[in-house]
Amino acid sequence: MEFLANLWNSFAGLFTVTPGWMTFGGWVAAGLTICLFSFLYKDNPFFKVAEHLYLGVGMGWLFQVYLFQTWKPKVYAPLMEGQFSVLIPTLLGLSLVTQFFPRISWISRYGFTFIMGYGSGLVIPMEISTNFLRQIGGSISPFIGATGPWDLFNGALVAFGFICVLFYFFFSVEHKGAVKKASNIGIYFLMLYFGAAFGNTVMGRFSLLYGRFDDLYKYSDASYFYATHVVLGLLVAYFVLDKLVLSKKNGGQEPAH
Amino acid sequence: MILIKKHIPLFICFLVGVLTLGSYYVPNVHSENYLELMNKWENIVAGFAFLLGLMSLFTSHFHKISRKAPGWGYSLFVYVGFLLVVVPAVVSGGKPMIGPDMTSLGWIYRFVFTSLSGTMFAVLAFYIVSTAYRAFRIKSPQAFVLFAAAFIVILGRVPLGQMMWDGLLSWTGYQVTDVIEWLMSVPVVAGRRGIMIGIAIGGIVTALKIIFGIERQYMGKD
Amino acid sequence: MKNALEKFLKIDRRLIFLALTVLLFAPIVKPLGLPNKNLGKDVVNIYNYIENMPERSFVMLSLDYDPATRPELHPQAVAVVKHALRRNLRVGIFTLNAGATGMIEDIAARIPKDIAPDKVYGRDYVIMPFQPHPVAVMTQMGINIYEIYDKDRNGNPTRDMEVMKGIKSVKDMGLGICITGTAMLDYYVAYLADKNKFPMAGGVTAVSQPGYGPYLQTGQLKGLIGGMKGAADYESLINDVEKGTSGIDALSLAHVLVIVLILTSNIIMLVLKYL
Repeated sequence: MEFLANLWNSFAGLFTVTPGWMTFGGWVAAGLTICLFSFLYKDNPFFKVAEHLYLGVGMGWLFQVYLFQTWKPKVYAPLMEGQFSVLIPTLLGLSLVTQFFPRISWISRYGFTFIMGYGSGLVIPMEISTNFLRQIGGSISPFIGATGPWDLFNGALVAFGFICVLFYFFFSVEHKGAVKKASNIGIYFLMLYFGAAFGNTVMGRFSLLYGRFDDLYKYSDASYFYATHVVLGLLVAYFVLDKLVLSKKNGGQEPAH
Repeated sequence: MILIKKHIPLFICFLVGVLTLGSYYVPNVHSENYLELMNKWENIVAGFAFLLGLMSLFTSHFHKISRKAPGWGYSLFVYVGFLLVVVPAVVSGGKPMIGPDMTSLGWIYRFVFTSLSGTMFAVLAFYIVSTAYRAFRIKSPQAFVLFAAAFIVILGRVPLGQMMWDGLLSWTGYQVTDVIEWLMSVPVVAGRRGIMIGIAIGGIVTALKIIFGIERQYMGKD
Repeated sequence: MKNALEKFLKIDRRLIFLALTVLLFAPIVKPLGLPNKNLGKDVVNIYNYIENMPERSFVMLSLDYDPATRPELHPQAVAVVKHALRRNLRVGIFTLNAGATGMIEDIAARIPKDIAPDKVYGRDYVIMPFQPHPVAVMTQMGINIYEIYDKDRNGNPTRDMEVMKGIKSVKDMGLGICITGTAMLDYYVAYLADKNKFPMAGGVTAVSQPGYGPYLQTGQLKGLIGGMKGAADYESLINDVEKGTSGIDALSLAHVLVIVLILTSNIIMLVLKYL
């Protein structure tokens, strides 16, 4: 027993994070980031490895969170304390997994119907109050509480635009005459929404890219032994070599990008 | 057998659905107790729903490896990645930090997971730029309105754009942020609200169909 | 001429990628240093709301973002935690997104270091574990929080913690802020804020920001921090500049690039039409 404990301790000792590991981390992060970015030039094995690693690491992270923050405290610990009522939701939860075994996949229906019934029961009153009644109320209230003509104009514009958009989505009546006009105006309001959304999407995507570039810049520092530079250089060398070999093989024909 | 395989699950859905719905409109001690029990149970049941995703990923890549499908070698890295997180997690008891010290799990999160996950989504920035150049065509009045809204937002969100606006359009008396605020709080609200109500009606109808057993695709085939 | 323009229109997209890389990387190496002006109204509303809360009020901060949206949302979360703790409010950090736990650890490690070194865990702030099924958790938080959150993330009982004194459900809290890259804020508005008349605000990615206009107009949301610009605005308000501000500065050139590209391609199309 003591031998096993010692073995475990020395195994766990291997996982101590030292300053050296922190520097190495910079290399790993820069390497994985650049491998994924390399797809922008063209598909390559480094990208594929990083892509598959991402799937595994992502699942691994979720697994350990569920293990230590849900299954252990919510199932294992109560069972150890003799609270057997947790067996009901546990079995319902585990029933979901039977979906992968065709012969007994019907058992999973117990878990699914339990989740779906509960979700549906909650969603109805919420949709009615939050996204239906409150929104209609929100379109009327500016007329009551308006503090000036500009407020009143904006309130009227929201209400008018909102009704026009509803006409656009309203397919039960044929779109002609006044209905068609209203639905055409509705399209303009939708376009303003989509335009603003596109503008914001540009900022959002660039922000994410900034985040990665900022990290790459950090790892290009001397304290990380120029990890970014070296990894980038190696990858460029790979692509040059690949191109040379490729051009020998099939006369420089490269798949169109 | 059809009773156990089909009717009882459908009845569970109906019963849980109606009771949950009722507990919202009839608030009393019993309905609150019922809801509390359901909340606790659902919390645990959902904890196992994650296994569906995990098993689905594992089986699909296992099949790829066992059939030696093209690129099967890469599938091995799915398992490598999984172990890269789970082994340190077991060693550190699921703690990324112990006091001020980073554990090996925290190391993996910071240097591996953050890099991979962040970069996967950051790559989209490149495609949005090339799409903007190749596909954003202002060919109709509607497209022009879309462009105008996008133009103002893209410009007005960054300091350089704000300076450009101030330099060229300060005579209007409006700052670009004023225009964006108006855009976001008036026409965008109208457009979004129309969509919102459409989704709400759809949501309510689907939920009713599920409770009454009309919609049962999620149950799979008989 | 026509051929040249057509060729220019079909330029190898990798050149566009390169242009973006250069224009986004350059300001990181050498910041432009442009000031972040024109603060968003919805961000100021959250700031004012927190400013006007009585001391020791409880702020529920639900951090529901993962590394994929870190650059946008992490600066928002850091700024809000700083503001709330420095205003001597109690802060409870929750999460309903399993990918967020590592991000939260980052904030947890920073609180004693540079965010608010004088604040004590368990007295001034608490960090709860991840919980699955957001809707069930939110519904329960409106009834009795301890039936789900009976232990903190380290397994310590929460009921007796000083930070939780007087808190049974969200009805006893002062404000909720959900920072998320998913639809979690929609759930919070519906299942927590509206149902319990609980003041709720949010921090979201720029991509989803325009979708929350209706909730802001009806007052279902008290305020909203949108994307990196929102983070930069909040940093300006609390006078503590960090990644949000440097980020929005670095985005400047890339934003101009997008506008130039759209205009260029459309002008070329127009010229080609009449050539």
